[in-house]
Amino acid sequence: MTAQIELTNVNKYYGAYHALKDIELSIRKGSFTALVGPSGCGKSTLLRSLAGLESISSGTLKIAGEVMNAVPPRKRDVAMVFQSYALYPHMTVEENLTYSLRIKGVAKAERKKAANEVAAVTGLTHLLGRYPRELSGGQRQRVAMSRAIIRHPKAFLFDEPLSNLDAALRVHMRKEIRALHDRLGATSVYVTHDQVEAMTMADHVVILRDGIIEQQGSPLELYDRPANKFVAGFIGSPAMNFLPAIGGQDGQSIILDLGVKQTIAINRAVRPGQALSIGLRPEHIELAAPDQGALSAPVALVESTGATCFLTMATTPELSVVFNGRSGARAGDRVGLNFASGSIHLFDAATERRVPG
Amino acid sequence: MKRFLSSMIDGRGFDIGLVSLPLAFLLTLSGLPLLYNIVMSFQEVDMFSLGSFWRPFVGLKNYRDLFAQPETWPILANTATFVIASIAGQFLVGFGLALFFWTNFPGASWLRGLFLVSWVMPGLVVGAIWNWILSGDFGVLNFILRETGLIGGNIFWRSDPDFSLWAVIIANIWLGTSFNMILLSVGLSAIPRDLYEASELDGANVWQRFWTITLPMMRASIGAIIALGLIFTLQQFDLFAAITSGGPNNASNVTQYWAWDLSFRQYDFAKGATISVIMIVFVMIASVVYVRSTRHEVRG
Repeated sequence: MTAQIELTNVNKYYGAYHALKDIELSIRKGSFTALVGPSGCGKSTLLRSLAGLESISSGTLKIAGEVMNAVPPRKRDVAMVFQSYALYPHMTVEENLTYSLRIKGVAKAERKKAANEVAAVTGLTHLLGRYPRELSGGQRQRVAMSRAIIRHPKAFLFDEPLSNLDAALRVHMRKEIRALHDRLGATSVYVTHDQVEAMTMADHVVILRDGIIEQQGSPLELYDRPANKFVAGFIGSPAMNFLPAIGGQDGQSIILDLGVKQTIAINRAVRPGQALSIGLRPEHIELAAPDQGALSAPVALVESTGATCFLTMATTPELSVVFNGRSGARAGDRVGLNFASGSIHLFDAATERRVPG
Repeated sequence: MKRFLSSMIDGRGFDIGLVSLPLAFLLTLSGLPLLYNIVMSFQEVDMFSLGSFWRPFVGLKNYRDLFAQPETWPILANTATFVIASIAGQFLVGFGLALFFWTNFPGASWLRGLFLVSWVMPGLVVGAIWNWILSGDFGVLNFILRETGLIGGNIFWRSDPDFSLWAVIIANIWLGTSFNMILLSVGLSAIPRDLYEASELDGANVWQRFWTITLPMMRASIGAIIALGLIFTLQQFDLFAAITSGGPNNASNVTQYWAWDLSFRQYDFAKGATISVIMIVFVMIASVVYVRSTRHEVRG
């Protein structure tokens, strides 16, 4: 459980703009950590600070136990896969792969051997003599990764590496990157704006917003116990439903107002009259006959992919429901909705923090 | 007729019309004189036959005569020195300045723009200014060299046969540097930043990044600027006229100035044409290099 990368109280300013705020992060050796958040949240800045391409304004940054604050990128021994791949256009694939070795002064025969070994792992053997412009997007992506792998660095940094690929290839490369990570026993830090990528690939997910770490933990921890409304809404697809509610008089129930007031017993302590926001994941809502559900609402839209059905209810705010299978419901029909009280997430409406319990 | 008209309005006829205009212009005003010049180099031309096209054909006599003249080889050597030294100087200083402004310090683009002033100035004016700078008795260049202890006595830049060619070269480097800088700046700014970041993470220091990324990525720009430099220096006439007039005793004479001198001062049009033909060959070679280097642009 040794930490490969450790950030303590890290801050970054661009002039007056505070890009990273008191970042505390410990990345375990051999783990796959995803930095995720909306654009402008500071995730790329954080990654570039790890690489040394940005300098941090205060705090300490350690890689493999050594303080790296003022160490230039070339001496940090970390490899980065860029969003644009940043392949050297004037070099063949083999020259791209062995560039770092050439800089180090490794002999030509040895470089060739190393390139062949890595190419065999990543399936580039037949492309070694080509130039980047002669490769497809997926192949370029693989060259960029191989160029990182050949160095056996202390950490791999990925900066949205899949965002330039089409959807099908992205899903495929997702698995491939994770498999490579496991095979190499590497430490990886992966920046993405796509929460599905983060959830499926990472052991440890760090959610950032406006330069602040909102929450970090294993993917399922974040899904099951989001610390605040932002994380709850960010993780999960389709996004969580939020409904306004008020704490009940007994402190053990909530009053939900969807046109008609409804009281729902709940196993958590709330203040009577407390303004709440309740979170319900679309996949935790079940359909029932119109008069049998905890709630009843008219359907606004039915979308089916064949395997999965997405329903949008004509309520304010809109409520979405997703389930496997098909539904006979049509727009305009009234349906009943059921959910277990345990699947309700409670947030304080003012602070947006999770109500404990 | 109708078909012709409609093709003129929205068909290939319009494209052909557009292309034929500049082509006709090029052929009449550049192509024909070029051919006429080549024809003249194989003819016997004097003041009396200047008006007619059908002059006695003399084969390679003009070429043989030219190379029999004692000043021909020295002048060709001067031309080579002038071209190589000018291009080398313009390129090195221009590249250095381009790299300097590329660091993007505050006011960099503004300062870079100011450098274009030298390029806007007419060659004769530049020559006149350099005449003062290079002046033997009170020139500022001599003053600086003397005060820094680099030379003991004054150098008479324009009248000393050892220095007169270099006087023009120095002025020409000054004149051409800004053009080199602008073209190389454009080439530099086209290199993606992330390549440098990638190579930095791959362990390359500044020097290694320059040799492995900057220079190879600039290949097309460098090829183009050197080919254009060759053409521009072979065209450089004003500075010779303004600074040395080719003298003393042809010490700073070059082919382009000599061709004009032979044709329009000594009225030996055939030899003037012959020299021009030799120059055309060199310019052609430069043009091929230029076209090829712009075709081989490497872009990710």
